[in-house]
Amino acid sequence: MLETMNNRIRIAPRTRHALLLTAAAGFSFGICMAAPAAETHKEAKLEIAAGGTLNIVNGAGSVTLHSGSGHQILVSYTVHSDKVEVDQNTSDNKQRLELRTHALPNQKPTADEAKADYDITVPAGVSVNVSTASAPITVDSLSGDIGLSSETGQISVTNIAKSHLRVRSMTGAVGLNNVTASIIDIQSAGGAVQLSNVTGPRIAVGTTSGDIHYSGDCSGGGDYVLTTHSGAIDMTLPPTASVDLTARSTSGTVENAFPLREKTHNTFVPQQGRSFAGTSNSGSSSVELQSFSGKIRVKKL
Amino acid sequence: MNCQQFQEVLPFIIESGGKGDDESHLQTCPSCASLVQDLRYIAEQAKLLLPMHDPNPRVWNNIEQSLQREGLLPEGRMSLPGHSQKYSTSQQAKSWTPLGWVMALTAVLIFTVVLINYKPKQLPPTPLSAQNSSAESAQLNSDDQQLISQLSEQAPDERSAYESSLRDVNAYISDAQQAAERDPEDATAQELLQNAYQQKEMLYQMATARSLP
Repeated sequence: MLETMNNRIRIAPRTRHALLLTAAAGFSFGICMAAPAAETHKEAKLEIAAGGTLNIVNGAGSVTLHSGSGHQILVSYTVHSDKVEVDQNTSDNKQRLELRTHALPNQKPTADEAKADYDITVPAGVSVNVSTASAPITVDSLSGDIGLSSETGQISVTNIAKSHLRVRSMTGAVGLNNVTASIIDIQSAGGAVQLSNVTGPRIAVGTTSGDIHYSGDCSGGGDYVLTTHSGAIDMTLPPTASVDLTARSTSGTVENAFPLREKTHNTFVPQQGRSFAGTSNSGSSSVELQSFSGKIRVKKL
Repeated sequence: MNCQQFQEVLPFIIESGGKGDDESHLQTCPSCASLVQDLRYIAEQAKLLLPMHDPNPRVWNNIEQSLQREGLLPEGRMSLPGHSQKYSTSQQAKSWTPLGWVMALTAVLIFTVVLINYKPKQLPPTPLSAQNSSAESAQLNSDDQQLISQLSEQAPDERSAYESSLRDVNAYISDAQQAAERDPEDATAQELLQNAYQQKEMLYQMATARSLP
């Protein structure tokens, strides 16, 4: 019995040593995995002149912009690795401020490591340009001159008035909600464009294959031009909509379920199933729906 | 009628000679004319290879005997009365049917392969052939390929999105161009064309901005 115990005691130190080493390694590994991979969060208040321009360039992650009072831009951002950093440049006269995410020299961050998340408060009267690769862009309650561009990120804009909005998207979806009295120019190659309660003196949307959905009254006596190659155009109008509407598809089809009065004079001869035209109420806004092969549908709300 | 439409009715043309539209296309399209000439020649040669006589009676006899051996055919059922005695030895000696069958089958195979693999020669675009060139122009031109090549190095993840978008927009441009050419007074066609170019400009701007150091 004693001999057996001694044998056990003789063997035990080796085993214990191995176990301890294993446990220590596992513990260290766990600590490393649990800790954020060099995540950095920063906040700053940046001066910008009235009427100045804020430019943001970010590849992956997200960009969120909303309005604030005062004369400073409040910037809050998080980068998720030490392989990327955010550069901040301000012109001497404070008219131009740029925030740019970029990889450090000789670093090749992964998609996750390259992410930077921005949350920015912009005072009124500051123009904004945002350019991203895959980062979604969310804009709420801004005003002024706004340019948003993303290759594959979704672009969402809400609660904007009396502004000039320019949107560019390659495949990301574009959504505008409650954007009024604004000049809007949207180009999207493959991303769908959804407009809800969007009005203004000039609303232009063009896509290659992305669908276009419009829901609203087209008020404001403006020009609404929705154009696509192969995407569908769906327009839903309330009975109160005052529009002078034409819909034409070169090789696609058109459907109208909205009560329109026939026009006494058309610039083209409507073709059954290919085009139609008409007015409702006083026809104060001009609406042109054009597609090459996509289907066009106009419905009553 | 363009080349693609012509080739869709090609079997009918070879068989029956075609209609007026087909003939007019043949007169204006040397590529299709050459194809039809080749196919007609093959068809004529194939006819010459078809057997001039019935198969050798030995073939029928062998088939009959095999079927009878396997119990699939009662004795005498297949043989026509006097069939096996119908042909003289000299007639049998003149028959080249097995070889003819092989050659005929070979000709038919060649004919099929030619039909499947035929690709018309690239001709300068004409108004007729341009009608259906949207798919062709969905290919990337040299500028596009250069752009994609640069993106492959800098942004491999985005490459396919750009490639697909460029193909789509090229098809858009092609369709809009044809619509505008068909009716130069068509304002909608002009606007579609303008929008198509805007789309392509946008893609180039995005890609260029990305590729800047």
